[in-house]
This record gives sequence, structure tokens and C-alpha cells, in this order.
Amino acid sequence: MKPTLVLLCVDDEPGVLDAVVRDLAPFEDAFRVETALDAADAARLVANLPARGLTLALALCDHLMPGTTGTDFLIALNNSPTTRHTRKILLTAQAGHEDTIRALNLGGLDHYIAKPWQPDVLRKVVLDQLTSYVIERQLDPLPYLSTLDTTRLAEALRSRHLADT
Amino acid sequence: MRRTLVLIAGLLLLALPSFLPLEGLSAAGAITLGIFLCAGLFWVFEPIPIYATSLLVIGAQLLFLSKSSPLVVARAFPFPTAEATSPDKFMATLAHPILILFLGGFMLAEAASKYSLEKSLTRLVVAPFGNQSGRVLFGLMFATALLSAFMSNTATTAMMITVISPIIATLPPGDRFRTALALAIPTAANLGGMATPIGTPPNALALGALSSAGYSVSFSSWMLLAAPLVVASLAIGWWLLMKLFPPSAPTLALKLDGGFDRSRPAILLYIVGGVTVALWLTEALHGVPSTLTAFIPIALLPALGVIGKKEIRSLSWEVLWLVGGGISLGNSLKDTGLATWMINLIEWQSLGPVAVLAGFVVVSITLANFLSHTVTTALLVPIAISLGTSGALGAGASMVFIAIAIALASSFGMSLPISTPPNAIAIATGLVTTPQMARVGVVMAVVGLVLTAAAALFFWPLLPL
Repeated sequence: MKPTLVLLCVDDEPGVLDAVVRDLAPFEDAFRVETALDAADAARLVANLPARGLTLALALCDHLMPGTTGTDFLIALNNSPTTRHTRKILLTAQAGHEDTIRALNLGGLDHYIAKPWQPDVLRKVVLDQLTSYVIERQLDPLPYLSTLDTTRLAEALRSRHLADT
Repeated sequence: MRRTLVLIAGLLLLALPSFLPLEGLSAAGAITLGIFLCAGLFWVFEPIPIYATSLLVIGAQLLFLSKSSPLVVARAFPFPTAEATSPDKFMATLAHPILILFLGGFMLAEAASKYSLEKSLTRLVVAPFGNQSGRVLFGLMFATALLSAFMSNTATTAMMITVISPIIATLPPGDRFRTALALAIPTAANLGGMATPIGTPPNALALGALSSAGYSVSFSSWMLLAAPLVVASLAIGWWLLMKLFPPSAPTLALKLDGGFDRSRPAILLYIVGGVTVALWLTEALHGVPSTLTAFIPIALLPALGVIGKKEIRSLSWEVLWLVGGGISLGNSLKDTGLATWMINLIEWQSLGPVAVLAGFVVVSITLANFLSHTVTTALLVPIAISLGTSGALGAGASMVFIAIAIALASSFGMSLPISTPPNAIAIATGLVTTPQMARVGVVMAVVGLVLTAAAALFFWPLLPL
């Protein structure tokens, strides 16, 4: 089955973006990993997702980028009905106090990871957030059972009152 | 596109028999044949969900076969009995006593899951097996089978995956025993469903069809017939998994913490559940029908506040209706003489009872690998029962055995991810590949064929039923 959930990474440094995508490779079995070099590029990509039958499950975003900041991009996502439930993560070294608070209060920020990051930590955070997304959105857990947190998804499956056929 | 074609073909099949010169078949029989063929096609290719087809069956019966049909033509048909044409009869299958039995089981299972009783019981059952790898595997399979005998196989599998995934996480990625653990759960869940009448819907279908034919099989009798089969096949399944995917470490890190919920409603559930199950198991001693006993949880669990609106709404009503439609179709097959007519197409006497039994079991296991087990049973059991009634096979008891054998055999259809929902869950964990599942499933199918046929021929006739 082709993945329908998208994991979006935004960073203005191509080298950083490549490293993030490499670290998130284990998720490619069940998710489409998309990238953008700035917020405008990312916004265009997000706007086209519904037409492609895709849904943005998680946005992993740098803060300081030319043009719109990552925080403002996340706030825009949070205010749009199609991406309101998207899990939002800042991956940054340069977000100040003010911006972080805005991201938290207005952008629906779910997690903050400081650069430089540990690949294992990044994967764990993404895994937890995506698992929460699948459960909270009441999606069928089966396609994600092997990629995400099996125990939590099986627990969600258990509470779904499954019947035999 | 395919869906539209199947839908059109179904409608054509529905009408076709009424326009064919079918010698010896009544007009009502021809209509029933149309419904049977159309429902069969829809159940097999699923252009609509299988429970929707079941409800369509009852709708079609009301429209074409009932006295109050809005179609004037239907009233002119000669029908074998006046009672059979009453619309109430078709509607009543949705509250068939066997479905009430199932409803009682559903409510208990729902309440058990609400208070995590199934998880607590799993710990209680698995703990005595120790932490030696092979024993843990058997303990898990035993607990799974035991729970799935009273809960749905699918819900049991989902719950057991939450139990085994922490164990699996402690094993190195390449360890073959991970596959053994992940495959043990659906295997044991599929097998465990056979053990009681409420274990899995095919059982209900066989019992419903038998009760329409005037044969009642008690809860305890069913267990006496089926439980030895479950134990034997479970042991073989365990041995097979140990052979194919042996453990690399002698012991497993098994964490079974947490006790029983001690809140007031949970304790009330233990009492109601305990009494109900005890009465079911001892039906042979006191004679209170299991269908009546099932009303204890139905009446008491909501009254005592153990379950509420939310739980009642999340019961698997569609499964009850799936079975109800199957029973209703079987009734019409019998009442309109269609089943007898179909049986007369084949020279059964020349085959002999053993070949007939083996034939039905083989067909049931084969179909069940590709179709819903309930559908498999719904298509085969009415024919088998009519075959018994027609006297083509001699003794009357053999018909009961064939019907039960068909239902049990369907539970052995588990070689593909699509065979059962528990299999689909196991494949989704990524710990089991389809060829691995097929290897175990095919062996279990052969085991099932031999065990079921042998039991029906040699073991069941010896039982005091």
C-alpha cells in the first residue's frame, strides 16, 4: 500500500535537510518524507497535498530561515483546518524565548529539539508523535504497526472492539 | 468497475432461477435459489460489506417470500408451510436465541475489556509457566486460546500483541523466536475460537441452523466436542512453531506486573461473569439453556452500571446481523425445499458418510482461507443439515456432527493474511512474513482436516451427549 501520510522536513541548509532525511529513513516504509528549503516552498507543498490524496501528519521545522520563520509557518499550519492536527516539531538552535513561547501557544508546538540533535532522540520523538497522531486521528493502526510504537497502537486496536468475520 | 460488474451479476443471479425450468423446484424454492446465489456471490466478492449482504438477504426474503410482501406476485406462490411465509419469522432471526447467546458473550467481553479483566487473566494464566522460552510460548498460546474461547479472536489478538511486544523488544532483531511469538498469537486465537459456542461466529451459525432443524446442542456438549480438538491442535501448533522458529535464548524477560481492578463495577463484573460462565459450563447438570443464561449479563451488566451507553453502542452488532442473515437464508433453503432439491442433484449414497464428511471438511477449510469463516459456514451448513435430514447418510446424529465439523473446520482456515483478522494483525506487526504464515497455516489446515474428520467419525459418537 502506498503511504498517504506525509512527514515534512523544512530547513534552509541542504546539508542539514539531507541529514534529517537520512535519520528518518526508517519511517519511509509507512510515510512519505517530503522536504522544503524555506517556509514559502513548504506552504506550497502543503497546499498541494489534499489534491494528491495526502495528509500532513508531521512537520519538522527549522526556526531561522530566509523569509517566513519556522515558528510563523507552524502557526499558519495550526490555523488551517487541514493541518490543525498535524504534529509540529521545531528542530533549531536559534529560536529565542519569545519565538518558542509563540510556537507553543499559537503554533500548537508538540516538541522542541535543539540542534545539534542525536539521531536516536530525533527518531524517538518522531515515532512518539506519529503514534499519537495515528491514535488521536483514529486511523486504522494496522499499516503503522510495524513502523511505529507497536504496543501503543495494539492498545488502540484493543479498544476498538474488533470482531471476527 | 469490478464492483459494478459483481453487483449486476448478483442481480441477474437473483432473478435467473425464476425464469429457468427447474424440474422439481417450487417457485418459492427458485426465488430462494436466486437469493442464495446472489448472496453467495456478494459474500465471496464483497462488492458491499458481508454484513450488508446478510441484511439484504432478510430484506429480499421479506420482499419475495413473505405473506405481507408488497409484491402481489409473491402472494400467489405455493409455499410449503403457512408459518414460513410470515414476515415475523424472517425478522425474528435478528433476535435468534443463538444471537442472544452471542450478545451475552459480547457484553461480557466488552465489560472485560473496559476493566482490563482480559489482561489481568492473561497474567494469571501465563505466570505459572515460568520464564523458559518454550514454556512461555505455550503459556501465551494457552492464555490466548482460553480468552478467545469467550471473546472475539480478533480482540484477543490485539490485546495479546500488547502483551508480547515488550517481550519481543528484548530480543535481538534477527532472532527467529520473534516470529514464533508473533505467529503464536493469531494461531492460538483462531484455534481457541472453536472451543465454545460463543468463541467465534461460525459456531453460532452451525448452532442456529441446527436449532432450526430441531437439534439443540448444549454449551457443555459443544465444549466436550470441540475442546479436545483445540488442545490437540494447540499442542501441534506449539511444536511446529518451536521447530520452525526455535528460541536462541533459554529464557525470556517476562514482565507481568499489575493486578486486578478492585473498583465496585469491576467486582460486580467478576461475579456476573463468573456465574454466567459457570452456568454455561455446567449446562448438562442443571439443564438451563445457555441462551437463557446469556440473559444474566445482558440484564445485569447495564443495570449494575458495569457497562453503559458507550459500551452498548460499541458492541459488534454487525456480526450478529451477519450471522442472523446466514441463519435466515439457511431457514429458507430448508423451508422451501431448495436444500433437498440441491441435494438430489448428487448421488450421495454412492459416496458414503465418510467421504461426504471429509468432503465438507475439506471444502470448509479451503474456502475459509479465502472467505469470511462465517460466510463459509453459512454457505455449507444448510446443505449439510438438509443432507442429514434427507436420510441420504443414514443416522440423524451424523448431521449434527457434519454441521459442527464444518463450523470447526472453518477455524482452521488460517494460512493467509486475509484468512482471518487475527492473521492481518500479525502480518501488520512486520514480524511475520506471508510465506512463514502460509507454512504454518497449511500444516494447521492438514492437522485440522485430520483431527476434525477423525473426531467426527471416531471420537464424537462415543461421547455421552
